[in-house]
Amino acid sequence: MHIPDGFLSPPVWVTLDLASAPAVAILARRAQQGTDTSGIPLLGVMGAFVFAAQMINFPVGPGTSGHLVGSALLSMVVGPTAAAIVMTAILAIQAFVFQDGGIMALGANVFNMALAGVLAGYLPYRLWSRHWRSAAIFAGGFLSVLTSACLALTQLLFSGVRMPPKIIWISIGLFAVSAIIEGAITLGAVRAIERLQPSSTEAWGPATQVRGSRVIGIVAIAAIVLVAGGVLFASAAPDGVEKLASQLGLKDQVPAWLHSPFAYYEARGFESMWIRKATAGLAGLVLIFFACSALGRYFARQRSA
Amino acid sequence: MHHVVVERWSRGSSPLHMRDARSKLGALLVFLIAVSTTSPRAQLAFAGYATLLLAALFAARLPLLSVLTRAALVLPFSATFALITWWAGDPARAVSLAEKSFLSGLAVLLTIATTPWNDLVHALGWMGVPRFLLLVIQFVYRYLFVISEQAQHMRLAAISREGARRARSVRFRAATGAVGVLFARSWERAEGIHRAMLARGFTGHFLSLERPHFHAADILFFFAAASAAVTVRLAL
Repeated sequence: MHIPDGFLSPPVWVTLDLASAPAVAILARRAQQGTDTSGIPLLGVMGAFVFAAQMINFPVGPGTSGHLVGSALLSMVVGPTAAAIVMTAILAIQAFVFQDGGIMALGANVFNMALAGVLAGYLPYRLWSRHWRSAAIFAGGFLSVLTSACLALTQLLFSGVRMPPKIIWISIGLFAVSAIIEGAITLGAVRAIERLQPSSTEAWGPATQVRGSRVIGIVAIAAIVLVAGGVLFASAAPDGVEKLASQLGLKDQVPAWLHSPFAYYEARGFESMWIRKATAGLAGLVLIFFACSALGRYFARQRSA
Repeated sequence: MHHVVVERWSRGSSPLHMRDARSKLGALLVFLIAVSTTSPRAQLAFAGYATLLLAALFAARLPLLSVLTRAALVLPFSATFALITWWAGDPARAVSLAEKSFLSGLAVLLTIATTPWNDLVHALGWMGVPRFLLLVIQFVYRYLFVISEQAQHMRLAAISREGARRARSVRFRAATGAVGVLFARSWERAEGIHRAMLARGFTGHFLSLERPHFHAADILFFFAAASAAVTVRLAL
């Protein structure tokens, strides 16, 4: 599920970098506010724990084994804000040190696993854990993996990676299986943790009650940015959407308004396509940089005030 | 473990190792954008990027074969997608997927293998990555190998105990127990680490003895590397 560099088209990774960078900056600020100095080593060691827990093999079927992904488990143990930061840290280390996932694609991977994955893992736990605790924990693990994987697949398709419809449905089936495995592992692990360390799942509890709602707001904003970017991209390159629809076997259902009247003129300007792409890439990076440094400065001023 | 190799590489003393982390990171970003925006059919450009990376590899005096093998770790994933794309009737894009992911991975590996980890984190901070996130990254990196080793010991112990073939459900429960124990130990370790840090006067940020300086050579390196990548992108 870690998308390497070279798979996503510039409009897709620029949009996702733009959505993830400010979201992570805000979440980092929130996580920092919610803790004293003890939080830093705790979050770091929890990140190392998730890394290591991914090495433990779970027997699943005959001759096959699965392993934990951990977004949902983390969100239940340290709360969604801190979990998003820890997952971002893990993804950054995987991208830089282990070449697992790309640098330009880091925004996409962070969005899929650290933001959407953590939120999808935490929401069922938060909503249902009082009455149907086991079901809520299972659903958290299940949804976090399914959400991340489906988002990654969508982004690949939007980037023009061609896949026959059969392959798409097969991979969605495989995602569902690994999501069930994640749900089962998360449930088992949370149970084991509660037996061994009863206080730990509530250690960050009271604080996350308040922060949880804000996280939802932040990720909702990020989602809106993403959707807006996606729509812009779709209107700029309508054949991408058509291709995607025909790949999914939905060609006939594509509404007429998707067939842009400018498609023909767009095609004629194809030679200058790379200029636009390169400009988009550079502009995106500059924008990300300024967004981050502006946010950083704003927060730094708040802190000193 | 293989990470140790990259850390050893990063402590070299080649001209590339001497450059400031910020100039290398900037050059890396320009290179990655150039690769990312290259048309799938521009095979000459890919050859150009490969030549640039090879030249940098020689300048860094890194073991060529081991670096290339490590960078090839991305290939199983991208080759799968490349095959699917080929099957879907787009061979040009299929080949370019594998090429782009390999070249990008190699560029990142080259940066990591010539830049000590702490300098890289410092450079990320300079580029505006939130300090809190960087602290967490530092701690994850520091304890990653410690706790992974612990997990491997536990795995070995579990395999040793599993002499008689047990039912799958029993082994599944044993594995969840292992995750629980690993969690409890990690939690305790974190508390111990925090006490030790407080005892040594930790106030919320790391102090570094050296202050990196931007030399003329660093600026020159950045512009040379960036313009080489952009030239390949535009000319080929």
